[in-house]
Amino acid sequence: MSPDELSRCHARALTAAGRLRLPLRSRVWKGQAGEFQGAGVGSSLDFQDHRTYVPGDDPRHINWAAFARTGQYTMKLYREEVRPVVDVVLDASESMFFDPLKAARSAELFCFAVESARRSGAATTVHLVRGDFTRAVPAELVAAHRWLDEARALPATDPAAAPDLSPIPFRGNAIRVLVSDLLFAGDPEPVIRCLAARQGSPILLVPFLKSEATPEWTGNYEFVDAERKSRHPHRIEPSVLKRYKESYINHFALWKNATRRHQCRMARVACEPDLQTALFAEAIPSGALETAV
Amino acid sequence: MLTLTNPAGLWALLGIPAVLAIHFLQRQAVILPVSTLFLLEKTQRESASGRRFDRLMNSVPLWMQLLGVLLLTWLLAEPRYQKARSTQRVAIVLDSSASMTVAKEALKTKLIAALPDLQGPATALEITLLESTPGRPRLYSGSSPEDFAAALDAWQPRAGLTDPSPVLRLARSLVAREGIVVYATDTPVEAPPFDARLLSPGEPLDNVGFTGVTLIEKEGATLWQALVRNYSGNRTSRTWQLELPDGGRTEPKSFDLEPGAIITLQAAFPDKAERVRLVLSPDKFTLDDSLPMVAPKPKKLGLFSATGGAYEELSKKLQRSLAATEPVNDAATADLTILSYDPLDPVVPSGNAIVFVHDETRGGAYLKGGIVAEKHPLIDALNWQSLLVRETIQLQRRPTDSVILYQGTRPLIFLRESQATPQTPASRQLCFNFDLRLSNAATQPAFIVMLHRFAEELRAAKVAPASELLETGQAIVLAANGAADAPPLRVERVDLDGKVLDTTTLPAAARVRVEAPLDAGFLRVRQGETDLLAASVHFADTREADFVACAPADTLDEGNAVAVERHTEEDHWWRAWVLLLLLALLISWHFTREREAAKVQTPAIKPLETTP
Repeated sequence: MSPDELSRCHARALTAAGRLRLPLRSRVWKGQAGEFQGAGVGSSLDFQDHRTYVPGDDPRHINWAAFARTGQYTMKLYREEVRPVVDVVLDASESMFFDPLKAARSAELFCFAVESARRSGAATTVHLVRGDFTRAVPAELVAAHRWLDEARALPATDPAAAPDLSPIPFRGNAIRVLVSDLLFAGDPEPVIRCLAARQGSPILLVPFLKSEATPEWTGNYEFVDAERKSRHPHRIEPSVLKRYKESYINHFALWKNATRRHQCRMARVACEPDLQTALFAEAIPSGALETAV
Repeated sequence: MLTLTNPAGLWALLGIPAVLAIHFLQRQAVILPVSTLFLLEKTQRESASGRRFDRLMNSVPLWMQLLGVLLLTWLLAEPRYQKARSTQRVAIVLDSSASMTVAKEALKTKLIAALPDLQGPATALEITLLESTPGRPRLYSGSSPEDFAAALDAWQPRAGLTDPSPVLRLARSLVAREGIVVYATDTPVEAPPFDARLLSPGEPLDNVGFTGVTLIEKEGATLWQALVRNYSGNRTSRTWQLELPDGGRTEPKSFDLEPGAIITLQAAFPDKAERVRLVLSPDKFTLDDSLPMVAPKPKKLGLFSATGGAYEELSKKLQRSLAATEPVNDAATADLTILSYDPLDPVVPSGNAIVFVHDETRGGAYLKGGIVAEKHPLIDALNWQSLLVRETIQLQRRPTDSVILYQGTRPLIFLRESQATPQTPASRQLCFNFDLRLSNAATQPAFIVMLHRFAEELRAAKVAPASELLETGQAIVLAANGAADAPPLRVERVDLDGKVLDTTTLPAAARVRVEAPLDAGFLRVRQGETDLLAASVHFADTREADFVACAPADTLDEGNAVAVERHTEEDHWWRAWVLLLLLALLISWHFTREREAAKVQTPAIKPLETTP
């Protein structure tokens, strides 16, 4: 993808981030002060309760009016506002970028996740993963459109292997967004377990092509593996195509079951419609995103 | 029976391999990058490798296109179904000219081979076989190919050049407008009349043959002179030899002929031989390679002159100018008597005679009035207008006399014919009713010609043996004994050694018409023990011996479409087939469009490149 294309993708992601965001409001946060309602009492303007003054309390929050009426020190308690934590992981395998549509959608989702988290004031970390190799990159690189070069420069022992998330230092109690097409062989359990560890809230944003889900193959093909670049001659007949489609459905059904077990939210985002349409159609119903009202 | 009006439409079947090839080619391996190969390999173990050529997919467009090709072939071939009880009538007119002897076998083969095509889609074939010579009976009529072949075998073309138009007209009337008329010849004409088709197996031949023969007396010996012509455009060499009655042959003598040249062969006619045959080394056309000969001996007329001194000179001139005459000494034995009429002895003797008036006076004035000739063979086409005649005494005319020349109302020449009686035979007397010496008649060509005509008529009517050289098919009239108790005439074809080959009997009559055989040979006509004619018959038609204009031609196939339409009916379902064809094409187009649309909607799967 050219810088211009990356810039356009980023712009679309920003536009979408104005209407949609990660589901930060749906949970109670703990941690550093921020914009989101915390689990404890804080210094926000939102009044929560009254209690008796105890030494050590901030005298600025004494309710002087109540003292005048009752002669007892009463403290005004305000809601705590904390800063959420978001870890964004991008699957940088070749299958995410072999097709222009899919590459654009992958970039849009990745930028959206990062920008949505940053716009919410979340403490955002960004990780790129390819096979068994991971790299943490600064979130600022996304706005500078230099993340893709970093992603494509990642080495991998087996480019077709499932991404190994175990080396990533996920933070506790964080929303963990994985942007991946999930097109790799193997059990989804290790990936989701990593994402859900330490009270994490996994969100899977899965770009997919319609041509991957319901291809119109017929006859002889020489398929080029997007990961390994190896060629594989195949003959596609209607029965074969039917079995392929069944296998595709089963593959994602497996992921669906696994995410349900770990209370992970997964949204399969089509590459063909525009980003907002696709997100409204897929991500909102599944709870992977919420509207930024 | 099914008939294809347009068999060329079957070429449309080539569309089937074309459609298959297109379906093969359009499905060659496509190189396509994919991200889901692990899913495919998991489910498709049996398709580990592709093929160089794709197997035919069981696709709707393929079957619709194949159906379309079949329907299109069916429509283009224009199938028609045979009508019940349809008969194709064919009249074949054979060129009966002698040159067809060369092409006869080839013609027979071609005609028999062409019968199925001529019959076409009809259930029955009715053949009529005719000769181009008008008046000949039809050679065959029926529907049996075997009998037709037998009729062709028996056919002997010997005639000369004939105009086939009358027989072609007859043939067309026999088969009506719907039938087929075939003119079989060896010399094709540009446009045969009466919508006839042409079949010619002929081809140009190098032919050399006899064109004629004469026998002359020279220095007491009889010589034959035969003309030989080279009809071809090539120089050629031939030999000739004489075949004798005793079976002997002279040594072959060779000669060369330039292209188109005519030479004369000459030799002495053998003294003791009645018949000889001159033969050339043979070529393909054999009719003119053989020349039978007999020494010609015309019937002799006995002449007796009884004119006294008045017409003695005229009698001598007449005797010298007439061929084959001999003087006799009395009127009883004479065949022709030249008489002068003496008024003092007005009785004219009986018998054939030429009678002149003998007037000793100086005569009167020249006769006046127009000279008018009656229509009579003796005087036909003769000019008498310069005849000058003085008035003289006249012959005593009888009521039965036929005047053949008048001046004004005065008879100048009349013919006196007497019927035969038990005592005297029939006789004719040509009477000049004026004195020749007082006229310029002796200097008139018409006078001499008429005398010769009269003498030749008498010679022809004389019953006597004669020898002649005849041409094949030549008609001759023989004088014979026509008495009621006279024996019939036997016409015998004889061999060179005199052996009778076959005999034909004709009833006795005073004048018998005999036609020479169509094949060269020898002929003998006898009445009882009396020989009437000994003749040789040779082929001498130079037009038929010339094969330069012969050429092959075959227009039998012309007009087959009309016959097919007449004997068959169209496929009534053709409209349904057209609609079905359109439907098949629409279905094929619909499914092909769907697939193309699906490809357009998924541009992600676009081939990077394709193998050739």
